Amino acid sequence: MELRRSPKGTPSILLSRVGLYDPDGPLAEAHRAGAWTTWRRTAPTVSPQQILRAVTESGLRGRGGAGYPTGDKWRACADQPADVRYVVANGFEADPGAQGDRTLMERDPHAIVEGLALAAFAVGASRGYICVRAGNDVAFRRLGAAVRAAEDAGYLGSDVLGTGFDIHVEVLAIPGGMVVGEETVLLRAIENKRAQPDQRPPYPSRRGLWDRPTVVNNVETLALVPWIVANGAAMFRDIGDNLNPGTTLVQITGAVKRPGIAEVRLGTAIGPLVEQVAGGVRAGSRLKAVLVGGPGGGFLPPDRLNTLLDPLALAEVGAIWGSGAMVVADERTCLVEMATLMERYLSDESCGKTIPCRIGIRRLYEIGSRATSGLSRPTDPQLLLDLAADVRDGALCGLEYCAPNPLLTGMRYFAQEFEDHFVGGSCPAGVCTPLRVVAGAAQ
Amino acid sequence: MSGPLAKLPGWGIAKGMLFTLYRFFSPKVTVQYPEVVQEISPKHRGRLILLYDEAGNLKCETCFQCAMSCPIEIIDMGGVDTKNRYHVHWGPAEQYAERREESPLRRSGRPVPDRSFQAWRSIDLGPLDRILVEEDYDPRRMLRILERTQQAYDHLPVAALQHISHATGAWYSEIYGIATSYPHLRFEPGRVAEIGICRCPTCVMLGAGRVRQALEEALATEVGGVSPDGAVRLTGVECGGESQNEPLVALDGQTQPGMTADRARELATSLRAGTARPGAA
Repeated sequence: MELRRSPKGTPSILLSRVGLYDPDGPLAEAHRAGAWTTWRRTAPTVSPQQILRAVTESGLRGRGGAGYPTGDKWRACADQPADVRYVVANGFEADPGAQGDRTLMERDPHAIVEGLALAAFAVGASRGYICVRAGNDVAFRRLGAAVRAAEDAGYLGSDVLGTGFDIHVEVLAIPGGMVVGEETVLLRAIENKRAQPDQRPPYPSRRGLWDRPTVVNNVETLALVPWIVANGAAMFRDIGDNLNPGTTLVQITGAVKRPGIAEVRLGTAIGPLVEQVAGGVRAGSRLKAVLVGGPGGGFLPPDRLNTLLDPLALAEVGAIWGSGAMVVADERTCLVEMATLMERYLSDESCGKTIPCRIGIRRLYEIGSRATSGLSRPTDPQLLLDLAADVRDGALCGLEYCAPNPLLTGMRYFAQEFEDHFVGGSCPAGVCTPLRVVAGAAQ
Repeated sequence: MSGPLAKLPGWGIAKGMLFTLYRFFSPKVTVQYPEVVQEISPKHRGRLILLYDEAGNLKCETCFQCAMSCPIEIIDMGGVDTKNRYHVHWGPAEQYAERREESPLRRSGRPVPDRSFQAWRSIDLGPLDRILVEEDYDPRRMLRILERTQQAYDHLPVAALQHISHATGAWYSEIYGIATSYPHLRFEPGRVAEIGICRCPTCVMLGAGRVRQALEEALATEVGGVSPDGAVRLTGVECGGESQNEPLVALDGQTQPGMTADRARELATSLRAGTARPGAA
């Protein structure tokens, strides 16, 4: 996926070194591009508490989708008495239609390893794991090479840079489906156990990998840490939204002129992003909806595209930040069908631990597929809402919690289209084949 | 009261009478059945009773469904009563291992699929033992053990799983759970063609749903399964949002361009018929 230019005035943090060095090349080249300078400068002189304070004050929030304050997470882990602590970099990238994390891991692996080293130093962890999805061979190879180069240079290993700290990092290829991207499932996968989430609390920061305190951070979060430590918390806070500062990677695909990935400020509106990053909707199409946050995200209509890219603002309108992927749907798309197929995907990927997830999402899909084949029952809309509430109440992990989003936001913002399917037995977009097609709608 | 009192002659009788006296004054538990009906749990199934319609004809059509669904196979259809009607035998489960062999289904002469017997076919444990030694019989490396077992046997034989359980001490159910929760581990033997379809929002917008439906109809299985003839596996692949004009469909890891629902159906059907030419799309 191609990198697109960021909107004007966006500071370059995550992608600042992309293209400046060859990720397969020697460490010296990465040094010239600025990799590891923060670690070399800070580790021997700065205390772990100072790094922890800098990250807390910067207001950095996790980039994995939930937006939990990273400093609080680190603090909870550091305060927990333990013989050994772990730091896990989550580069699993669960969303099948996103590759922001992958781009970062492939193009600038040193930033992630350096961020992981700083995190381990700050919380007092002696072991770190970088988890890459099995099959993502390029990222696995480059991260492995980066770790080995750092070990050879003395940045990782025993007694790093003379500080007395041991930081051993391993890159793991984790197999599995979408649900493995969730933090507790990822930890179970590292432990070679069944890929199913655990009840939280206790959070992994208290009891994680092998029951030891564990910090699980997205690779994008970790890649931001060296910049924060080098430039100071105040400078990071000034970028974007005050409550949720910094930049993030978004990926815009679908019916747009230039699909791609770009680094944007948090707290910018979604509509302008589609214009500035992806060049707007393709010629001859009209924007109908934007699916924000991947398969468990929500559909936003054109009049809601002033929503800010921020976990709280997105939750208010029914979408999620998720993987930072946005799919632009044009008027030839039937949102009932698309939402139904999202439910189908999530029901495929459900691990089956909670029953509302295993059966409920399947039933949501069946309700949707009744609508797209003209067999709806009069009770279906109400049943859908009830079931969605139950699925959400029973949620152990993000997959289940977000699963009803596509159908719910569809019903909320595209009530007429859903009504046409449920009651009228027709598809305004002319996609659902067994239904009566509204005259003149489909071209 | 085991002190000196216990040695008194007649103490045992007195103790027994005390219990009788206690029961004499406690409330009665007998339910006056026809007048009072006790509440029964909704899950209670009780004894199997055949139903008769208003004319007194037996509703049972001896379809053997009850015999088939009984997990321990103690239900048996057979025998006629004085009015020449079928009735159901069902007995205690002591000897169900024998009854499995002489199950009514088998006696009926119809071919009965018996997965439990086929799956336990024995295997050569040599390669597995070597893997276990190399992995130090360590249950914490279970994923790696299972992956290597799959490589050695081309799939995960149930006998291998049981041997791993015996050798490592990990519960069989736990190993089975791991093997079923990771999509790359599989139980079906043999190399099969693999059709992958992307299910991401971008591909769905471009019609992945219809392609998937066509594939599932043609292969008579869902994503994650193998067609009944064992020829083609249907899996999920990921485009990462790269798809521009058509959904991503891959055959054995190779992207198949220009895939529509009709062409996908054609591809799946021809693969099942054994006439497929991979890459010639």
